[in-house]
Amino acid sequence: MSFGSPYTTLPDFEYHSPKTVDEALALLREHLDEAKLMGGGIGLIAFMKERLMSPTHVIDLKGVEELKEVKRVPGKGLWIGAAVTLSELLQDGKLGEENAVLHEAVARIADPMIRRRATLVGNVCEAIPWVDTPPALIALDASIEIVGGEGKRTVPVSSFIRGPVDVDLDTTEIVTAVVIPESKGREGAFEKFTGGSEFSLASVAIVASGQGKSKYARAVYGAVNSTPIRCAAVEEQIKDGINVGSVRRAGQAASENVECVDDVLASSAYRKHLVKVITTKALGRMMER
Amino acid sequence: MREISVVVNGRVRKRIIKDNELLLDFLRDRLEVKSVKAACWRGECGLCTVKLDGCLVKSCLVLAVEADGKEVTTVEGISPGGELAPIQKAFVEHGAAQCGFCTPAWVLATHELLAKNPRPTDEDLTEAVAGLVCRCGTYNQIREAVADVAGKRRKRAPEGIAQA
Repeated sequence: MSFGSPYTTLPDFEYHSPKTVDEALALLREHLDEAKLMGGGIGLIAFMKERLMSPTHVIDLKGVEELKEVKRVPGKGLWIGAAVTLSELLQDGKLGEENAVLHEAVARIADPMIRRRATLVGNVCEAIPWVDTPPALIALDASIEIVGGEGKRTVPVSSFIRGPVDVDLDTTEIVTAVVIPESKGREGAFEKFTGGSEFSLASVAIVASGQGKSKYARAVYGAVNSTPIRCAAVEEQIKDGINVGSVRRAGQAASENVECVDDVLASSAYRKHLVKVITTKALGRMMER
Repeated sequence: MREISVVVNGRVRKRIIKDNELLLDFLRDRLEVKSVKAACWRGECGLCTVKLDGCLVKSCLVLAVEADGKEVTTVEGISPGGELAPIQKAFVEHGAAQCGFCTPAWVLATHELLAKNPRPTDEDLTEAVAGLVCRCGTYNQIREAVADVAGKRRKRAPEGIAQA
């Protein structure tokens, strides 16, 4: 029995299950801001229970075959469709080797039952400050592919997420995929600290090119601020290689430069300590490989 | 409102439902399948776990309408003839239930793990049940029950280590 209260029931809505992106777009154009797109539904159903969202139309993308693909497009990179679940992504044999940072972030999200429903695109579109995949995707220079409105456009994940629960997406648009550019010889690692709760208190995604090669370095922090943030001071420390000295200096640089907020989950000072710990752990693992 | 048809534990069940109904409510309120527990309503405790077309899911995070034309298995479905499944016998033998509220979900999840992986390691088990909570804390007994069925009975914890 659901006691008719919020938290246990959902607002009234009409459910739609389009089979193609075009059908989904037509539904969006018809219902505009009264509609919400649903991937795995993990975030949307939770938001609806809390009445933070009360759409009168829910458009479920699970039945859209063209969005269920993970494909490698030459010259473009890894294309991950909006209906691909996190567990389907983990089953992709090459992900761990090509993009370790994303594999590590996804493998530790929630639990296997949630990962069987949740999608990567859904995780990004939620844009909740403590979700784990945006830092990893930003560290990989990934983009979001969008259709609708004026046609097709591509936006870097870093600018797609504008703020907490705020993304660069119009009511007539659909995110069709996350695209990760091809990369060779990049190492990466993801670390987070949750303190045993369901929320990350701090997370970091680090990607760097192999030592002595092209100088690509990204250190992106999640859950410490309203959106994921890059830290140039950490990137500077690891550009010329990851060794005992640079790992120590990077940890210190993180603590001094990553802007951390105070909130009910943790104080700014505690988060500044955490970013040092997770930066050192992530880089330590990359050094050992 | 629409009519959906779901095969629940081998039986076709048709009901008229509202689009905003959760699979959890459909099973408990419309079909009276009370082994599926409603507890946290937010996908944290896992006590509403069911098998949907062969995959374990948390039914408080699934719309009933999404189950239309699909198969749902609850704990009742793993012992169709009334004979307890091996993992159920092991739960009884090892005292792996205290208050029993979470037991259907744990039985279903561990039964599923053993079906897919007959000799799971401790890590496999930990990963498979990561989404489940037992507030009485019978985790050690559940481990023993699973190890028992997997054919490698674990030694009891040494004296002095608290164990219910």
